[in-house]
Amino acid sequence: MHLDYQLKEDSETDWSSVTEEDLRYRVALGNLIFHVGNKDFSAAWDWIPLVDLAASLAEIVRKLEGGSASQTFEFTESDAWIRFERKGEKVLVSTSYGEGEGESSFHAVSEAVKSLRERLQAELIGKHPQAAHNAAVRKLLGVA
Amino acid sequence: MNLRLRSILFIALGFLMTAGAGVAQTTQYGQVRNNADQVTLTRWALQHIMARHWPDSTATGAGKFQAGTTEATLRDMINEAVRNGHARHNTHGRPGTIYEYDFQHQIGTTIDGGPATRLRIVVSNRNEVITAFPF
Repeated sequence: MHLDYQLKEDSETDWSSVTEEDLRYRVALGNLIFHVGNKDFSAAWDWIPLVDLAASLAEIVRKLEGGSASQTFEFTESDAWIRFERKGEKVLVSTSYGEGEGESSFHAVSEAVKSLRERLQAELIGKHPQAAHNAAVRKLLGVA
Repeated sequence: MNLRLRSILFIALGFLMTAGAGVAQTTQYGQVRNNADQVTLTRWALQHIMARHWPDSTATGAGKFQAGTTEATLRDMINEAVRNGHARHNTHGRPGTIYEYDFQHQIGTTIDGGPATRLRIVVSNRNEVITAFPF
């Protein structure tokens, strides 16, 4: 399983004052790169709010870990979705915009989401140090 | 005499209430009514929607409104959808409410370019529209 992102350049955002709503819908936009087995569920739409993506996927992993059988990620600007169905130690992944179903271990999904969140956090704070002190960033990306 | 005075006061109060409502409708930008409350379409939200979902938007992977959609018709659609649509909590810990409504006629195109008859609106906890798009 390969989960990654491409962050679009953004020089206009004031990272000391961004709100959760900004992070969920308006800033740190980019693309999703997502391969599960031989299935490519990437979404190169340029407008995906990546902090929201990372926080939402982390929430989905928490719910699957807590016993939920299925969780669906809804994109913010379309009715497109990604569904995660837990089958024991495996997770089946399907989307509304890609054909077929991918399969991965729950451990791999969990690690990939954790890694995505950490890499995004590091990139954003590296580019915008003031983001480290923003409460919404800290909440959604779990800045220590 | 008292009855006439009461009638005059009653009519005057009616005029004042009507005038007050008119001011509220005309001075607040893009305000639409909900059954319980009002939602507001701010200029920021309108720009957000236009950038991604307007007929001439080049954004990919996002539903588009039909050619000829205007700010006024968008406001009317939001009004109707919030008033009559299905409401649910936003997902994955995102704050706010999602409203969805099927207009039973085409209002735009889906991300695949097919006809879209439904509208989804995301409304913040402050009752401000965050985004709206056909699907």
